[in-house]
Amino acid sequence: MNSRLLMTLQVVVPPPQKLGAVPHGTRVIAPITSGTFEGPRLRGKVLPGGGDWTLLRSDGALELDLRITLETDDGALIYITSFGLHHGPPEVLAALARGESVSPSQYYFRTALRFETSAPKYAFLNRLIAISSGDRRASGPIYTIEEIL
Amino acid sequence: MNSRPLMTVRIAAAPSQKLGAVPHGIRSIIPVTGGDFEGRRLRGKVLPGGGDWLLLRSDGVLELDLRVTLETDDHTLIHMTFQGLRHGPPDVIAALGRGEVMDPASYYFRTLPRFETSTEKYAFLNRIITVGVGETRPDGAIHKIDEIL
Repeated sequence: MNSRLLMTLQVVVPPPQKLGAVPHGTRVIAPITSGTFEGPRLRGKVLPGGGDWTLLRSDGALELDLRITLETDDGALIYITSFGLHHGPPEVLAALARGESVSPSQYYFRTALRFETSAPKYAFLNRLIAISSGDRRASGPIYTIEEIL
Repeated sequence: MNSRPLMTVRIAAAPSQKLGAVPHGIRSIIPVTGGDFEGRRLRGKVLPGGGDWLLLRSDGVLELDLRVTLETDDHTLIHMTFQGLRHGPPDVIAALGRGEVMDPASYYFRTLPRFETSTEKYAFLNRIITVGVGETRPDGAIHKIDEIL
């Protein structure tokens, strides 16, 4: 599989909304209030209003369902949706939950992303499939996003 | 991004149902009649009854939305879905439309497969993000699917 760096995305997540046990698992909603992104072809900031609608399944895997809007430094809006999976050894997940810093190689945190934009300069995003590797930090995750070539 | 081959899925399809222009684009539905899959950790056949709900967007990109059921050689059922994108030079896409076989490197056909199974032996499929490289064939499609590590 050939890929190349599209961007690094860092989002800021305030305390999440813990909805508890719902029919499909344990639901936690993480609002995203800000952030930044930077790559060879685009850079800018994350607008407030998005979030990650996470669901802890009965098999221990956390499903991620993220929607955010990016604003590039030249004023284009880009809508991102991302579906992901996060799991790992119980002690690693417990350390992450306590806000400790853990090497991302200790757990699985991968997402698949889609983009929408009307800006001609960034229309290439409408036509590609991307995946990311996530690094959970106390303030919010950092995603290294790669375009599948 | 590190990845490794998961399997190759060959989909046999019936002639498409051409619904024409709908609000989001031009809709065609391709019934899946069968097929097979093979990888280091799993192999078996594609059951009839699934399909690919295609949408040709106004920007010329074909969106794929597939649902099929796989049956392994040891009789486990696996639900597979994917969303994908296909686009390329107009002459290549036209040749594919005429049923000609084209080099898959001459167009972009990438998918994001997801899996569901209840069987312990194949439960790893519930926990991985995968990417497929597709090849359009006159009687269906071939998808080479990699697991993102």
